[in-house]
Amino acid sequence: MSSSAPDIIRFDDVSYRYPGGKDVLSNVGFSIRQGEMVYVTGPSGAGKTTLLRLIAALCRASRGQIVVMGQNLSALKPRRIPLYRQHIGLVFQNFNLLYDRSVFDNVALPLVVRGYAYADIGRRTRAALDAVGLLGREKSLPLTLSGGEQQRVGIARAIVTKPALILADEPTGNLDPEMALEVMRGFQRFNEAGVTVMIATHAIDLIEALPHRIIHLEHGEVTDKMPVAASRLGASHGAR
Amino acid sequence: MALVEAGLERPGLFARFTQEHLRVFFFSLGKLGKGPIAAALTALVIGIALALPAGLYVLTRNLATVGYSWQDSLQISLFLKDSVSSERGAAMARELRAESDISRTEYISREQSLSDFKAQSGFGDALAILQDNPLPAVIAVTPQSRLGKAGVEELAARLGRLPEVDLAKLDQKWLERLYALLDIARRSVGIIATLLGVAVMVIIGNTIRLDIEARREEIEVMKLVGAPDSFIRRPFLYAGFWHGLLGGILAWILVAAGVQSLSGPALALAQAYGSQFQLSGLPAADGFSLIAAGIVLGWAGAFVTVSRRLSLIEPR
Repeated sequence: MSSSAPDIIRFDDVSYRYPGGKDVLSNVGFSIRQGEMVYVTGPSGAGKTTLLRLIAALCRASRGQIVVMGQNLSALKPRRIPLYRQHIGLVFQNFNLLYDRSVFDNVALPLVVRGYAYADIGRRTRAALDAVGLLGREKSLPLTLSGGEQQRVGIARAIVTKPALILADEPTGNLDPEMALEVMRGFQRFNEAGVTVMIATHAIDLIEALPHRIIHLEHGEVTDKMPVAASRLGASHGAR
Repeated sequence: MALVEAGLERPGLFARFTQEHLRVFFFSLGKLGKGPIAAALTALVIGIALALPAGLYVLTRNLATVGYSWQDSLQISLFLKDSVSSERGAAMARELRAESDISRTEYISREQSLSDFKAQSGFGDALAILQDNPLPAVIAVTPQSRLGKAGVEELAARLGRLPEVDLAKLDQKWLERLYALLDIARRSVGIIATLLGVAVMVIIGNTIRLDIEARREEIEVMKLVGAPDSFIRRPFLYAGFWHGLLGGILAWILVAAGVQSLSGPALALAQAYGSQFQLSGLPAADGFSLIAAGIVLGWAGAFVTVSRRLSLIEPR
């Protein structure tokens, strides 16, 4: 808490264990200041998704303390979780859209949940769609859109409430490189507008193109190692 | 929590409530309209389940009407001793009429009894053989209808002790039997209505459960964007409301159709007994109660199911 901006996320010695018994995260500690943009990297199964799920209160830490936006998550009553989650924008690899509703209805959903007036919802939803470049497609059904467009719908839904924190789990995992870079640039723009952004990703090339702080996980622990690009893995094999 | 608000003013509670409920009202109606056959089948099953006790209820009501109309004509027959003159008999009938428990009296002299009997029984020729008139004079006493069964019995016993009276006769055994039967029928309606009410809740609960399973992903997404359970539950509760409403309306229609198809034969039967009785259907107030029962059961069935299932669905 000594730096200029306050911590928006703080992990103290957090462990998470599946009901089965395997430790997914062990003794994880870090903090993220308000307005930061952070990548969470690491091999598959290192605990990236679990880390984001813990922050979104989709699961509960087995040990340790997590404080997000001043809220101690272990003290968060189940009844209060929806309200807490309303203040976080979530973006997923598989988009998680409602496929029987229009793009507009998908993006408007978080605002409808909170009970804003329809006039406000319409204005705010169009603004969010405009921010991801989908203003012309608001009446379309998600399945008529490309993968990149669907992901932008998901992002518009995450930003429509103007959350202070956006969590994205492999947001570019299903996108081609060009689309992926465009999506990442989008996140960077939101970050420049003051939103704290946390992205779990494998995409080393994107991280290199848009460098930000990295939290690297291996075997459920935070390490000082850095993610390695596939091209370099190939190079080291070639130099053998 | 030090949370950044979205920068929008939320409308007042009442405005939010109205907007949200109107939205879900039409949204759930639209959902129903997308599967009209399934909705119609559900409504039919619920309608039949509600129509059965409602039909029985109509039946007992009609039987009770029959019973009451006969109770109105319930009379105490005072058979007078032969020693009582016809003047004294007529005067006695007038005296009795003045009593507060008695609404009407009619004096029937021995001669009149005989001629009535001749005209009605068809035994006139046989009676002509007899030397004397064997029939006694009768005062037909109609008690006030406010007197209960016990009151009428008491009145009959008191009148029977009058010196001029040979015998006071009150035939209401069959009426007691009818009331006992009606009581059983009414209680059966209660039991059947309870059982079928539970059945309606189960039917609607099952429909809603299938609906919840079909919309599992949608529920997960809602939970991810921070929708509280009440928000997720609402469309399902309205679905239960619609199922119950349609089922209730259908039940009313079924009962009305049943009454309609029975009214002809019932009228013929009543006329054969020389009665003015007409089969009455479900009164509007009871019809609306039927619909309200459908709505309450639908809502409750949906609530039980959705509350139980919702906690089982967590975003992956």
